[in-house]
Amino acid sequence: MNYPFWDVPHIGSGWVIGLIAIFHIMISHFAVGGGFYLPLAERKALREGREDWLQTLRTHSKFFLILTGVFGTVSGVGIWFAIGLANPEGTSTLIHNFVFGWAIEWVLFMVELSTAVVYYYTWGRISNELHLKVGYVYAGASFLTLVIINGILGFMMMPGESWLAVAGTGQEASRFWQAFFNPTYWPSLLLRSAVCVSLAGIWALVTCSRIDGEAKPRLKTELVRWSAKWLIPSFVVMPFILGWYLWTVPESQRALLQLGMTTIGTGAFTQVTRVALIMVLSSATVVGVVYFLAWRLPLSFGRAHALAVLFLGLVVTAAGEYSREMLRKPYVIGRHMYSNGVRTSEVAKFNRDGYLPNSPWLRENATELEQGQCMFRGQCKACHTADAYRSMKGLLAGRDREAISRLLAILHDAKPDSPYKAFMPPLVGTAGEITALGDYLFILVSPPGQDTKK
Amino acid sequence: MNSLFNTVYAWANQRLDLDDMLRFARKKTVPEHRHSAWYYWGGVTLFFFLVQAISGVLLLLYYRPGPDAYESVRQITYDIHFGWLIRSTHAWAANLMLVSIFVHMFSVFFMKAYRCPREFGWWSGIGLLMMAMVFGFSGYLMPMNELAYFATKVGLEIPASMPIIGPVMADLVRGGLEVNEFTVHRFFALHVVVLPALFVPLLGFHLWLVQKHGNALPPSEEALPVAQRRSIPFFPNFIMKDMAMWLIALNVLAVLAAMFPWDLGAAADPLKPAPRGIHPEWYFMSQFQVLKVFGNWLPGAAGEILGLVWFSLGMLLWSFIPLYDPTRENGRRGRRATYFGLLALVILILTTAWGYWAIHIETQPATAAAPAKLSGVPNTVNLVLTDRKTDMIPVRKDSASILSAHETPGWKPVVHDRQDAYPPVKTIVLSVAPTPEAVNPK
Repeated sequence: MNYPFWDVPHIGSGWVIGLIAIFHIMISHFAVGGGFYLPLAERKALREGREDWLQTLRTHSKFFLILTGVFGTVSGVGIWFAIGLANPEGTSTLIHNFVFGWAIEWVLFMVELSTAVVYYYTWGRISNELHLKVGYVYAGASFLTLVIINGILGFMMMPGESWLAVAGTGQEASRFWQAFFNPTYWPSLLLRSAVCVSLAGIWALVTCSRIDGEAKPRLKTELVRWSAKWLIPSFVVMPFILGWYLWTVPESQRALLQLGMTTIGTGAFTQVTRVALIMVLSSATVVGVVYFLAWRLPLSFGRAHALAVLFLGLVVTAAGEYSREMLRKPYVIGRHMYSNGVRTSEVAKFNRDGYLPNSPWLRENATELEQGQCMFRGQCKACHTADAYRSMKGLLAGRDREAISRLLAILHDAKPDSPYKAFMPPLVGTAGEITALGDYLFILVSPPGQDTKK
Repeated sequence: MNSLFNTVYAWANQRLDLDDMLRFARKKTVPEHRHSAWYYWGGVTLFFFLVQAISGVLLLLYYRPGPDAYESVRQITYDIHFGWLIRSTHAWAANLMLVSIFVHMFSVFFMKAYRCPREFGWWSGIGLLMMAMVFGFSGYLMPMNELAYFATKVGLEIPASMPIIGPVMADLVRGGLEVNEFTVHRFFALHVVVLPALFVPLLGFHLWLVQKHGNALPPSEEALPVAQRRSIPFFPNFIMKDMAMWLIALNVLAVLAAMFPWDLGAAADPLKPAPRGIHPEWYFMSQFQVLKVFGNWLPGAAGEILGLVWFSLGMLLWSFIPLYDPTRENGRRGRRATYFGLLALVILILTTAWGYWAIHIETQPATAAAPAKLSGVPNTVNLVLTDRKTDMIPVRKDSASILSAHETPGWKPVVHDRQDAYPPVKTIVLSVAPTPEAVNPK
């Protein structure tokens, strides 16, 4: 509430992050996996004296440089802008807690980007051995960027007891390493590494699809099959790593996945189960399609086939990221900060002293409706929009003023048996503030002029 | 692993002569040209049919036709582990199967694959399309919810409008004068026994014809010298691509079934008026709109009869196209046939879109009036009892708006109007007298 509210109509600010993030992950994970693909393929080509492979790899490294160096970096910065605007409290915590981590990350980014440029522009200009070493430096630097960011992303899911013990005391940074190597760190790192390797293969297939199979049948067959092999590790280990990852996730978060097995009855709350199902099935589809189209028929593997595989990879990425984000509910930083930026430690204070007095974004002598709007913006709009995505108009449709009050009371009390508790932050504020929110929501759902009983 | 496979293969080969089948499959070829992508739609249709069969059998484990129809579908959708997924898969696969049949049919038409000697392939395909539509119509009633009830009621009024035999036929299908539990029984028998018994042999005949005559070349390819024509082996090349298409189709189906699970809606209530804008499924929308238009032009049964004659005639012309355009040469008749196909496609799309637009217009005032509907005190109230794990009442798929016991301390009555959107587990309906305010709102 210390920051201005970023109002993104219709889709909500969360989807702005989501759309950029899905795009970014497809590229950033390729940047890591492709970092290994290029030097390993080059090493194989040099050992076997395959000039035709080197020519293709040169083309691929150009594609790689443009995609990761331009689109990857721009979308990465885009995420920073988006999360800073959408959830400034959470972003602030990440910055303050991981200053040293971010510094390391940015140094590694610089090394990564520099070596990617050097790698492409020095094909045939420096010795093969040195060129290969540049490739390995790139691979190492890019993998280390994953090692660092994985710690920070994992922290958001589950910061760990040690860090939570000092959260809010100003001593958080003293538990840097405990927060960094949080409970989900290792399974998450392995999971992401497997995804990187798969994406390296998938993106390489895009380049391979452009090889003329009739003119260069041997080259196309070998490269398509070699690239397809990059999907094998994740196909084999992914189920085990996913199991490990879920085992480390808190029980309360795992329960979110289970609700949708039985029913579609609870609306948006069951989406995470359904999206997770898509992730699993689409992953299997990617492997199957690559087997049938690339491994078995490498010569006829064309651009449309490669794009189909890439699109399926995008579906898996989107479903995976959505599921991971939803698993964090109702927190943005597990057990520390709710998704609307309210810290768990502040709930009692806001209930006692009020939420709005802490907001500098409410003018003096604000009307009750303005107070309600400020409550809505501060506490609801991180996840809901007025009229489209998780729309309040849709979700509250048909409720009269009394029903809205009862709903808000349930959200405010957040009793252990409340069905909303697992997914939504508690509604904080004094009775007057909650009444103002109720009035505002009622006006939103049933604008004046409609014949609706108050 | 390989040796085990080889041993099993050798054992089976000795008895079934699998090598001979493989030799045949390798010898068989499929043309490869710029229109080849259309060859996969027949396979995709077959895939969706198989999904239908498997998911249908799974639904049979819990579905109870008759008076319990709605309750059993409610259990499948809201209580049974992954029941919602099986039901959504079945419903989406039905729609996707019809989409792929239409794409397959039009691609066959425009590639002139109905010409000699493939006439029976065309006719058997038309027969399969008809049966698939009846599958869809009969399956739509199975949940016996409000939409299904009224859509079936409206749908059966079309054959009922035929002179002399119409009413008798409609009564026979309905099992009485109105759509009721006997109709569900009859549709169920049609859906799971009669239609499969007819569909499967006809499908076998269709596939045998495809096998016998092979894939047809479009006229533009047929005009090329034989040496310039390209082809790929049926096995493994075409089969591998077909398998990949099946996987992609499975993925599309999974995304639709998971992200847009099939909702149940309220139970059918014959005493209630039909909801505004009630309409059949999209594959009947064109005929529905044509009937509506003719009905508006001509009063009484004449309009409906003329409408029936119109699309019956169109269907006959469509079916007999191999007789009109039989030769391999793409002459004047061939061009006319192409124009006829284009015209049919345009009419189908336009009348379907027109139908949806008309319904959109028709439902506009109802949407605007919806909030006002809640303003009066309802004359019935439901006590909502639920012992669900989540303590929630099922809600719409896009809604987290949950009325729960928490919101109704002391089991406070919930207004009846909400039950349209949120079918309860069990309801006790109490009739109460409307208050004076409700009768004469200020």
